[in-house]
Amino acid sequence: MINLTIDGKNVEVQEGTTVLEAAEAVGVYIPTLCHHPQLTPYGGCRLCMVEVEGARTLQPSCTLPATDGMVITTNSEKVLKARKFVLTLLFSERNHFCMYCQVSGGDCELQNRAYDEGMTHWDLQPNWQPFKVDASHPFMVLDNNRCILCRRCVRACGELVGNFTLGFEERGANSLLVADYDVPFGESSCISCGTCVQICPTGAIIDRQSAYQGKETEVEHHIGVCTECSVGCQRDVLTRDDRLVRIEGDWDAALNHGLLCDKGRFLPLEDDRPRLLTPLVRKDGRLKAATWEEALGVIAKNMGKGKTLAALASTRLPAEDLALFKSIFADGLNAGLVTSLEEGEATASLAEKSEKFGTPFEASLDMLKETDVVLSLKLDLVEEHQVAGFFVKRQLQNGTKLIVADADENKLADKAAVTLSLKSGEEAAFLKALLDAIDKGADDANMDEAAALLKAAEKCCIVYGKGFAARADEKAVDALLALAGKLDASLIGVKGNANSMAAAQLNLEAPFTTDGVKSTFVMLGDEDPTQKLIKSLEEIPFVAVQATYSSQLTGNADVVLPVTNWAEQSGTYLNMDGRLQKAVKALNAPEGVLTSHEALLKVAKQLGVEPDLDWESSLMSRVPTIEIKKA
Amino acid sequence: MSKPTVATDWLCGCAGCHMSLLDIDERILQLVELVDLRSTPITDLKEPDEKGVTVGILEGCINNTYNEEVAKRMRERCKILVALGDCAVFGGIPAMRNLVGADAALKRAYVDAESNDSEAKIPSSPELAKMTRVRAVHEVVPVDLFIPGCPPDADVIFYALTELAHGRIPEIKDEHLHWD
Repeated sequence: MINLTIDGKNVEVQEGTTVLEAAEAVGVYIPTLCHHPQLTPYGGCRLCMVEVEGARTLQPSCTLPATDGMVITTNSEKVLKARKFVLTLLFSERNHFCMYCQVSGGDCELQNRAYDEGMTHWDLQPNWQPFKVDASHPFMVLDNNRCILCRRCVRACGELVGNFTLGFEERGANSLLVADYDVPFGESSCISCGTCVQICPTGAIIDRQSAYQGKETEVEHHIGVCTECSVGCQRDVLTRDDRLVRIEGDWDAALNHGLLCDKGRFLPLEDDRPRLLTPLVRKDGRLKAATWEEALGVIAKNMGKGKTLAALASTRLPAEDLALFKSIFADGLNAGLVTSLEEGEATASLAEKSEKFGTPFEASLDMLKETDVVLSLKLDLVEEHQVAGFFVKRQLQNGTKLIVADADENKLADKAAVTLSLKSGEEAAFLKALLDAIDKGADDANMDEAAALLKAAEKCCIVYGKGFAARADEKAVDALLALAGKLDASLIGVKGNANSMAAAQLNLEAPFTTDGVKSTFVMLGDEDPTQKLIKSLEEIPFVAVQATYSSQLTGNADVVLPVTNWAEQSGTYLNMDGRLQKAVKALNAPEGVLTSHEALLKVAKQLGVEPDLDWESSLMSRVPTIEIKKA
Repeated sequence: MSKPTVATDWLCGCAGCHMSLLDIDERILQLVELVDLRSTPITDLKEPDEKGVTVGILEGCINNTYNEEVAKRMRERCKILVALGDCAVFGGIPAMRNLVGADAALKRAYVDAESNDSEAKIPSSPELAKMTRVRAVHEVVPVDLFIPGCPPDADVIFYALTELAHGRIPEIKDEHLHWD
């Protein structure tokens, strides 16, 4: 342990602690700009300078390791003067016009730090050299005139996301933030995860969607789980006057610590699908607006029970809704088929195995953050479950090796140390061959190299998703387990939608067939119906759909019940990691629109079913593939 | 003892800071109890008294030779010079002209603007002041007090003037300090 004094306060810290961290530990505030808790200390802005007894010059506290007996002063005349001077230089280096900047007035860290120092003006004026503005990106604007060269964005893009799109060209005061080798941001390798816009301390990278919609102080925050995929990132949904303003990653989240992908951050604000605002009932061949009573009456009259009834649910909906859905249709109405729209593709083959074992065998996503070899089986983490992909990509710069095995084009392939061909239907044979290669080597050079990498791995992770699980028979799953056992590898099963795992726990995994089905109830929520689903329901005589948006599926239905979207409902989600997390309502639903849960309860009442509301024990009644951790 | 005297003037700005001064509403009656408001652009007396005033207030930045004269005259005739608003303090919106230069700005406004006809030309009367680089007031004359804001709130202006009237230099900080 190390003892030092900061502003007269004694503090004991672990070796390797910086002076800035030690100061935080005793409640001494040191202003910073280039520093960010999620990034490696950089020492670029020099705002955090402190006086160190015995040192000739001021030192940046963010990169200065605390040493025994150090005496630090953070508030001397000398320090305060230097701080003001640093800020003056930052302002005079570029062109800052606070009066019309969207982050001015609370959201700009540069301005806030200047206010803290009581700066009414800048002693040094800029030299009025114009810098590049790049507005080619659909979601962000990059304005070098407001940049303080702190490189938070560049470091976040590389260190956290592993994408390395942003960088600097030129040197010193001419330094310019650019994408790739100075191509338009919108045409660059950027994947629109928006981490740069979230981490930028000034208005140098701004977000188009929330421009001038409300400052940090004027918005309401709703922190909950993202419902776009089974990674289960925590995010903050910012609203103002019942309007979506912006979505940000939650820096404090244990899993994603601030990261989101475009699906979680930007795309929900682009949603312009037409909304269903009233129940619809088919009369004389056409869908007509109806009251809830009428619509429920038609359902009660036309929807059968037992074998000829099929019920389908979206895995984007909360666990409460899925459990209630199952209770009504499987237990209450004895429907012939009660399943999810994903039909257990990402989960069924593996869940069967854990059930057989009586114990979970999959590992936490956190393992990806420290692995040295990753084997990816028919999974493109650039296309789906992107944040899990970030964990892999950013590890590669630390020497982690990636092996991509896929049948189709895989966007992670160009980052892989080895790529292997894994054809559909050959999963078991492939894994067995790999296992053999580990023991005895292989003729195929790639297979041999992959085997050597796996053999040498200290902490190996095998990741797979729907592409593997949907086609994996028991042999393939056994081969997977054998390989993992051999390598002492962590098995990481990427699921599908946000509640795929909950659907698996509720046994909503059966494949969908229309044979003999006379009526069906589709709990679609805000999901987009697939063409396959639309087609397969065309032949069914009576179709009731519970949906948020108007689509070809609702257009073909006999009864449509309007329900809320992701932002208007709360509920529980079970992510691929076994974390039970809450989604939080951020907006009020339009008049007359119910949550899927409320709508289901109305349906149950109309049909005379007494549903079981204990969703939690239903969820726990099956042995999961990964241990379920309650929040 | 006679009341402190105050003179104001505007340079290159939008007059918004003076509007904000008027936004102190009925408190202007309290203010005239404390100070003798002499010349302002919105009263009959336009120039500060030759014998001098206690406080001189300038809104706007300096973008031509005439503004330079006005600023220098105000500086000569006042004890305490106040730069009021972002244009006076930083250069403000007009300073964006510095990024392209005065010639390009004139051409864009007087010749290339979509509403201009083919005979449009840049005014060139010898009576017009000569355009210069846009500068904050403190780049031309020393400033004693900076009140940033676009515009500064009426409350900030009232607070600052009240303090000045009592012979104190106000400290512009915390809730009184904003640049937008």
